Amino acid sequence: MRSGTLILGLGNPLRRDDGLGPRVVEELNRRGLPQGVTALDGGTGGLDLLRYLEEWVRVVIVDAADVGQKPGQFVRFDLREARLLARNGSFSLHNAGLGEAIALANALGRTLPEITVFGLQPKSLDWGEGLSPAVEAGLEALLDAVLEEVKGDDNAQDSGD
Amino acid sequence: MKIEVHHVTRVEGHGDIVVDTENGEIKECRFEVVEAPRFFEAFVRGRPYYELSHITSRICGICAVGHATASLQATEKALGVELSEQTVLLRKLMFHGEMIDSHVLHTYYLVAPDFLGVGSVIPLASSHPAVVERALRIKKLSGDVCAMVGGRHTHPVAMAVGGFTHLPSEVELRAMRARFVDARVDMDESIALFGTLPWPEFERETEYVSLKKDDEYALIDGTIVSSDGFSYPIEDYRKVTNETCVPFSTAKWTHHNRDSYMVGALARFNNNYDQLHPRAQEAAAKLGMKPLVTNTFLNSAAQAIEMVHCIEDSIEIMDELLTRGIKPETPPEVDVRAGEGVGACDVPRGILFHHYVYDENGICTDANCIIPTGQNMANLNADMKALVPQVLDRSQDEIRLLLEMLVRAYDPCISCSAHFLNVEFV
Repeated sequence: MRSGTLILGLGNPLRRDDGLGPRVVEELNRRGLPQGVTALDGGTGGLDLLRYLEEWVRVVIVDAADVGQKPGQFVRFDLREARLLARNGSFSLHNAGLGEAIALANALGRTLPEITVFGLQPKSLDWGEGLSPAVEAGLEALLDAVLEEVKGDDNAQDSGD
Repeated sequence: MKIEVHHVTRVEGHGDIVVDTENGEIKECRFEVVEAPRFFEAFVRGRPYYELSHITSRICGICAVGHATASLQATEKALGVELSEQTVLLRKLMFHGEMIDSHVLHTYYLVAPDFLGVGSVIPLASSHPAVVERALRIKKLSGDVCAMVGGRHTHPVAMAVGGFTHLPSEVELRAMRARFVDARVDMDESIALFGTLPWPEFERETEYVSLKKDDEYALIDGTIVSSDGFSYPIEDYRKVTNETCVPFSTAKWTHHNRDSYMVGALARFNNNYDQLHPRAQEAAAKLGMKPLVTNTFLNSAAQAIEMVHCIEDSIEIMDELLTRGIKPETPPEVDVRAGEGVGACDVPRGILFHHYVYDENGICTDANCIIPTGQNMANLNADMKALVPQVLDRSQDEIRLLLEMLVRAYDPCISCSAHFLNVEFV
């Protein structure tokens, strides 16, 4: 039985702007979220992300991504509008990610939740902590957009199955 | 003929295979570890005793509980901390959870695709959905038991020096026990599946090294034993590991009585078969396995047998915990002092050592961690050199696949050992 909306921040805070997802989760939890909306740090979870796709009516993913924008600018898209690159052939466990988890769910015929992605263009994915100034400058607009996205999402009683 | 495989897939981390033959003679045949060094031993120096298990748990996202357990053991020996029976039982239960989690990941996600003719677990989900659904069920169960005891699936927060900062409730234990009993069906199906797989024929006897205990299948603590008849207290681990550097690998090599030795599920199976749970011995009989098994590829089958053992032993541990009742214990006060301690656990990939020295303020001044995959490197290379001449009449693609399967049989955790996979046929 599915319930609620999950905001899932993905990334590694030790790789500069890749830490955007966890940082957004931290900021949102500080600001407070509408009832029925949960924000979780998905880290760099690989195929284990599958379980996040099974427990919620709606999943909003926040991740640093190459979306063809200037650093700090973001793009919002539905999973239906874009293809996440999944390695359908062989892959090492160290590079399995959301794309592979969704491909596995699809291959098993699982019903996916409604998935919205906020992809923000990174500037630096080098080793180190802290977002680059360009991404830091874009953070506020992203937080506002994510909160706007989930506003009124009090769907705790809904079932997606 | 030159075969080069850069970054062997379906393993944890990065390593390369390099094979070069001329007129049937091997010129080059090796496994190179190209993963960057990790430096964990350097960055625990200067840290207080209560942080070490949490830092070293991060060596691995799969064996986090194993590292934490060996780390706590080293610290507790150094500082003279005694454990309650309840703590010992809970640590064993969590350790089993991680063993099952790691073995199902390796046998189902990483090894099974080789035999079922697909590139990865994703096409396997389309061709064999029941197999993948079963793997996901077992994986969820093992992750849930780790979370129940340790506070979360990976990197246990509740494990502390001397005990646990959070305890499972009897209601949670009872529900978990019922799920473990139900998992027997999935275990029977797993053994049936692995019994049908066409394991490659390849025999090379080597020295098998593991922990040993008289009264149980040794996973946490014990003595170090070798199939060549040696036995050492864990404090003497350096007499076994003899680490050396090789130019083409960021993982150090080890050797003991011979040029190489093997650690992991097959070594444990060979050395400790008598202590396996009777249901696990039945599973071994179904797979046609009884010591001494010298086909390296069967390390994965030994892992399946160990899954059965861990399920059964977990049920018995939960029964004991429920009979005793969960006592509201908290970790004891630590009497901080200078000291030195060695912890050893037989984690999913083999024997693991953590060795720490603390000053009078409980600050770590020296640390050494020896990881199973590193200990298997010399043996893997010896296996490759023995296997290649036997299969030179086959096509380059067949040889490449067979060598990749051989590497995967060791379930190498390359990032952890680098201080370790791609195949390069040159």
